[in-house]
Amino acid sequence: MRAWKAVVLINLALIVGGGWGYAVWGLRTARLERELAVARAAALAGVEREWIVEGVVRAIFPELNVLVITHGDIRDYMPAMTMGFRVTSPKIQEAVSVGDAVRFTLRGVPPNVAVTAIQKIITR
Amino acid sequence: MYALGLIARWVHLTSSLFLVGASAMIVIAGPSDRSTARRWEHRILSSARGLAVVAFASGLVVLGVQTALFEGRAAAALEVGAIGRVLVETQTGRVWLVRFSFLVMLAAFLLLRLSVERRADWRAARGEVALLGAAALVPIAAAGHAAAVDPDTARAIAFDGLHVVVAGVWVGGLLPLALLLRTAATSEGADARPYAVLAARRFSRLALCAMVMLAVTGALLATIHVGSVAGFVGTSYGRLLLAKLVLLGLVLLLASVNRTVLLARLAGDGPTVGRPAMRRLSGFVVAEGLLALAILAVVAALSVTPPARHEAPVWPFGIRLSVAALEGATAEATRTLIGSQIAVLGLVAMIAGVILRTWRLPLVALALVALGAGAGLALPPLAIDAYPTTYLRPSVPYQAASIASGAALYRESCAACHGSEGAGDGLAGLALPRPPADLRAPHTAQHTAGDLFWWLTNGIPAAGMPGFGARFTEEQRWDLINFLRALSAGYAARGMGPSVELGRRWLVAPDFTFAVGPTPPRALKEYRGRVVLLVLYHLPGARPRMSQLAGREGTLAALGAEVIAVPTDAAPDAIRRLGAEPRVLFPIVTQGATAIVTAYGLFAGSPHAEFLIDRQGYIRAIAQSRGEAAELETLLAQIQELNQEKTPAEAPPEEHVH
Repeated sequence: MRAWKAVVLINLALIVGGGWGYAVWGLRTARLERELAVARAAALAGVEREWIVEGVVRAIFPELNVLVITHGDIRDYMPAMTMGFRVTSPKIQEAVSVGDAVRFTLRGVPPNVAVTAIQKIITR
Repeated sequence: MYALGLIARWVHLTSSLFLVGASAMIVIAGPSDRSTARRWEHRILSSARGLAVVAFASGLVVLGVQTALFEGRAAAALEVGAIGRVLVETQTGRVWLVRFSFLVMLAAFLLLRLSVERRADWRAARGEVALLGAAALVPIAAAGHAAAVDPDTARAIAFDGLHVVVAGVWVGGLLPLALLLRTAATSEGADARPYAVLAARRFSRLALCAMVMLAVTGALLATIHVGSVAGFVGTSYGRLLLAKLVLLGLVLLLASVNRTVLLARLAGDGPTVGRPAMRRLSGFVVAEGLLALAILAVVAALSVTPPARHEAPVWPFGIRLSVAALEGATAEATRTLIGSQIAVLGLVAMIAGVILRTWRLPLVALALVALGAGAGLALPPLAIDAYPTTYLRPSVPYQAASIASGAALYRESCAACHGSEGAGDGLAGLALPRPPADLRAPHTAQHTAGDLFWWLTNGIPAAGMPGFGARFTEEQRWDLINFLRALSAGYAARGMGPSVELGRRWLVAPDFTFAVGPTPPRALKEYRGRVVLLVLYHLPGARPRMSQLAGREGTLAALGAEVIAVPTDAAPDAIRRLGAEPRVLFPIVTQGATAIVTAYGLFAGSPHAEFLIDRQGYIRAIAQSRGEAAELETLLAQIQELNQEKTPAEAPPEEHVH
């Protein structure tokens, strides 16, 4: 075989081999990521979940059964923010007042969640 | 271990560059049917085989040393498992894998016995060697300092890769060329003389291009890794780079002699042309090659030295030059202007002298005189006293908490002389040889944070200022400097009113962290990109204003503006004290309020103050009152103006330090 043909073949093999390897790797990574996302969504969807969250009561809407709470991060569901939450019983609202630091239980199938229990935490 | 790593790096770099350059030199010289030329070519190729092995072996040593470094123990350098982990799990390791495989391919290709009688075959075979050599070399850029540059990593790696491969073509070509010239200058090698002359001319042209490219990519890389004059003269990386430049200057001197004098004399016959010129050129090229080896040793050292940008520079001179010295000094400014114009004339004369063939000597002489005179006139007024720490960057960020602890230290230790407001009017200061400085004055432009750090640490003996290096920790001194920065900024902010001046950003909002109740702390910085209205309020005076803001919270949110309210009494039960009505839903700071109130109190004197902070983190308007309800439509209009304002390309506040 002529030398230049050999060289062309070598370079072609390098390019094809490298490109193929890179593509396979990229495709596999993409597939794994997709599967992970699907698995994560499946694990979270349609299942009743429960969180214990800390926050501060900011406002009370007794007529709506809603408490507005500035809360910390809610794992796999919601970042820290100020947000209104439905309460399951009026007693929960009566137990707290605006400005209380609280630890509350949030339960439900997202996005349908509600505060099921609440207690004040004593801060320094 | 360090020395071993350094030597291994040098050997590895040198052999890798030679592989590229030697094969490129053969390609440049082209195929020949002269026996001497062929012997030369085969000698180069067989040494390339050896070099590939050397590069591989020294690469393994470097990898071993790196493994020991990653694992934190020397024994790991010889453990196959540890090296394997580094190869597979780190970016450096993956780069080594790629480079090792190209080196193996290169060695295997060099062992192939290819028939290269025909021109196309020869070109393909020799070109492939150069290509594989370059492929084995270039990825090194992705494992060096360039890979740690952030942002623009890819750009830095591209520059570095280009720099390395061009350096390879130039450095690696020198010694093969010298060998060819030396052989051709002997009587046995006379048949290769035209070939050698041609090769030398082609290489010279290529080397000129290479030099230009090296200079351009090198300058770009220097701005990335060093970035400042202080970094150049004040860090080990910068000094190594200076050493590299000095060596490069010598190389360029030799190269210019080679190119202008000796290259022209190669053809023909005579006492100074032809063979004697060829011998001399070969000697000069060898000298260039040796200097290049020294440069590579410096490069090896550079590759294990942290880039200047990440080091604290130690300024070695007693003065520095800055245009800030001209502020308010008209006569000096005129002098500098005249001097700079004379220097420009000198520069023009220099360029003309280099380009023109006639009048060269007088022009260059004139240029030197004009440059000297211009520098002598322009530079002295720019001189400002400088200290080793002048370019030190604060190790404590400009944050409310730091400013607050600086304020406490100031009251304790500085206020007696400098006055409680920093005006330099403290009673104890009256007895001093020189009146204490007015710390609110806007002269901070002439002093870097590092200057202040030096004075705080060592004092100013002539003025009677004591040094606090032994009393305060480094962090405390930076706290004080942050406080002084805020104090001086606050004094300058006296004139800032409640309305935004479009296009004028100068008052940096100190960053702070705060928390609302038991929620995780947040920082002002996280609000970058949105307009923030920071409200320092005091009950009961501010109740109407808080009700008003609470009532329009929806509108504020729609405009993308965030309200953060800080009770000036820093009460932990502030939310409860605001009460259930009206419903205030924006963050009321219950943790971190004290520091915010202390720091931002320097910018405003009234019990109730509102700071409008723009999307880049600058305070743009300060409204001071007793907290009564005010026209809210104006505030909303200003927020909208800030939203529509063109975003500047300049760096965000933290980067900007005086």
